[in-house]
Amino acid sequence: MNHPASRVVPRAAAAAATTILLQISGAAFVYAILSAEEGWQVVALLGLLGFGFYLLERLPWINDVVVALLARVPVVTTATAAVIVLGFPFLVGSNTYILHLLIVAQLYAVLALALNFQLGSANIPNFATGASYGIGAYVSALLAVNFNVSFWLTLPVAALAATLFGFVIGIPCMRTRDTYLALVTIAFAVVVHQLLNNFEWTGGPNGLVGIPAPTLFGHSFADPIEVFGWTLPSQANFYYLAAAVVIIAVITARRLHESHIGLAWNALRADEMAAKAQGINVAWYKVLAFAVDAFLAAFAGTIYAFYVSYISPDNFTFLVSVTIMTMVIVGGMDNIFGVIVGAFLLTILPEKLRAFSDYRLLIFGVIVIGFLMIRPEGLFPQRLRHYGVER
Amino acid sequence: MTELLLQQAINWITLGSIYALLALGFSLIFGVLNVIHFSHGDVAMTAPFIALAGAQALAAVLGAAAPAWLALAVIAAVFAVGLIGVVLDKAVIRRFRDAPAMMALVATVALGIVIRELIRHLYPQGSNPHAFPRLIGGVAFDVAGVPVSWFALAVVGLTALLVGLLFGFLHLTPIGLRIRAASQDRVVARMMGISDGRVFRATFLMASSIGAVAGLLFASYAGVTRFDFGVMAGLIGFSAAVIGGLGSMPGAIVGGLIIAGIEVLAQTFVPEGASYRLVFVFMLVIAVLIFRPAGLLGRTILEKV
Repeated sequence: MNHPASRVVPRAAAAAATTILLQISGAAFVYAILSAEEGWQVVALLGLLGFGFYLLERLPWINDVVVALLARVPVVTTATAAVIVLGFPFLVGSNTYILHLLIVAQLYAVLALALNFQLGSANIPNFATGASYGIGAYVSALLAVNFNVSFWLTLPVAALAATLFGFVIGIPCMRTRDTYLALVTIAFAVVVHQLLNNFEWTGGPNGLVGIPAPTLFGHSFADPIEVFGWTLPSQANFYYLAAAVVIIAVITARRLHESHIGLAWNALRADEMAAKAQGINVAWYKVLAFAVDAFLAAFAGTIYAFYVSYISPDNFTFLVSVTIMTMVIVGGMDNIFGVIVGAFLLTILPEKLRAFSDYRLLIFGVIVIGFLMIRPEGLFPQRLRHYGVER
Repeated sequence: MTELLLQQAINWITLGSIYALLALGFSLIFGVLNVIHFSHGDVAMTAPFIALAGAQALAAVLGAAAPAWLALAVIAAVFAVGLIGVVLDKAVIRRFRDAPAMMALVATVALGIVIRELIRHLYPQGSNPHAFPRLIGGVAFDVAGVPVSWFALAVVGLTALLVGLLFGFLHLTPIGLRIRAASQDRVVARMMGISDGRVFRATFLMASSIGAVAGLLFASYAGVTRFDFGVMAGLIGFSAAVIGGLGSMPGAIVGGLIIAGIEVLAQTFVPEGASYRLVFVFMLVIAVLIFRPAGLLGRTILEKV
């Protein structure tokens, strides 16, 4: 007897086992590269990663199989991911350097996801994500330092301020396109950086110091966390906070991708004229993409400001925006997972290349160019939309 | 007041010429490859370092530092940078000509990082600023009590000469004709038997050598050069090319003059203008693109369906 259920169950079990195994080995790889200290270890791990992507390039079906497996058991996938994200600080223990890298990587993942709405979904270049990030950081820091406003209140205010800025950039962008549009956003990024650098009330080039740590239900984020007899360093607070924002960003990105807004953005990317002919309000959706990007970037900025408790204009230069662009493009445009991988890779890589001390930027540049040449679609290319029909 | 104005006018025209030369490179390359070569500024700013290194090497080999060595090294640097441009095109930039525009932009930004870091590592004490001599010293004549330096005259004269040569080259030689054809439509140009490779080589050779001249003049104007001058040189040159209209040679010159103009005006008439000059420059860029989305002299392309 071939009962349908009996055929499905073992498959699901196998899929679940593979899913868990895959995610754990992924986490193990991240842990290995984070804790690698010798130059040769880093090189070996990078070689392994490169080989993995080489395999993916040669045997594209691997990607499809893995995606199908993960989608087969969504609950297991999500649960494993949750356990890994929650448990990682326990694995890392007292190594605050690794935690620091993870926090920064997660903040960049948020920024890259924010930019992905524009660059990935709608193919609108934006070199001002760094500026929105900076505006978020400065607004919340100024409120906290000058008026003693709590972190939780500055978060929405900063997001609102940055969103307004997003609308402001969006307006000239209704008319310009491609390279011209790229220059408008570059110009905004430079103007914001220069103003932050020159105003007196932003602290000029010295920036703002002494941003107080947030507190939640009486627990200060500057204190270590103690759970079930485990003590996690104070960075763990920000690790979980950043993880929460990454999750919010991922959910937002998914929901938007599946909504008519995501569809409209994709239509813009495919052909602006055709989109207009279909009755899509092109200008509105373009401006909306800028606003959403700025909104999320401000979240990352606020957390960054409170985490390092010191910000200066140099944290928000035009080159920061370029880095975020690189993360999206290297990771894979319009692919949420790819963008996160890109953000982690490009945050951790330069740090790990410190083993090569002075040459790290040089190697970083070469690796970025190499990735773009070897996998021009990005590490994880965007997948085709499935319209209507259930997979 | 007149003296101040006159003095600033001289500064404006000098700086404007240098920016125009930078912008020409961006416009040329974009016209042919449809790629923004964002590291063009960095390529240009390698020239002063090559010239300095060349002059020192010549002095070490042939004894006694002499102005002649520097002159020789400067000329060698222009050719060397032209070759660097050709090599970079062949190795990296050309591969992105059919990729999405933003990919090429990011790749060339990364290339810029590589170039800057190479300067820093290959040149002795490359992280520090290095003094760069005025290539031509002395005062030519006085206008209403304001001295006009030979240097300013040379910059303007050289720019005019280069622009004239470039124009003649593009319009009077066979390869110039091919470049113009490729910049109008690369596919049709290929069908007419025009080889891509030669056109790209010639374009990069010209654009990078002109950039090298701009880099040398800029270092000489500022009296100093540093490995990361290329970032600003690139941003300014790119902006000048875009507000003039990408692919348009007269546009690049107009763009360079406008940007230098607003910079000099801000420094002269606005209190603390020197520190805010980039704000003014880029506000102007935004304003120009709001009213002329394809640049001042750019062709507005109407999309036909």
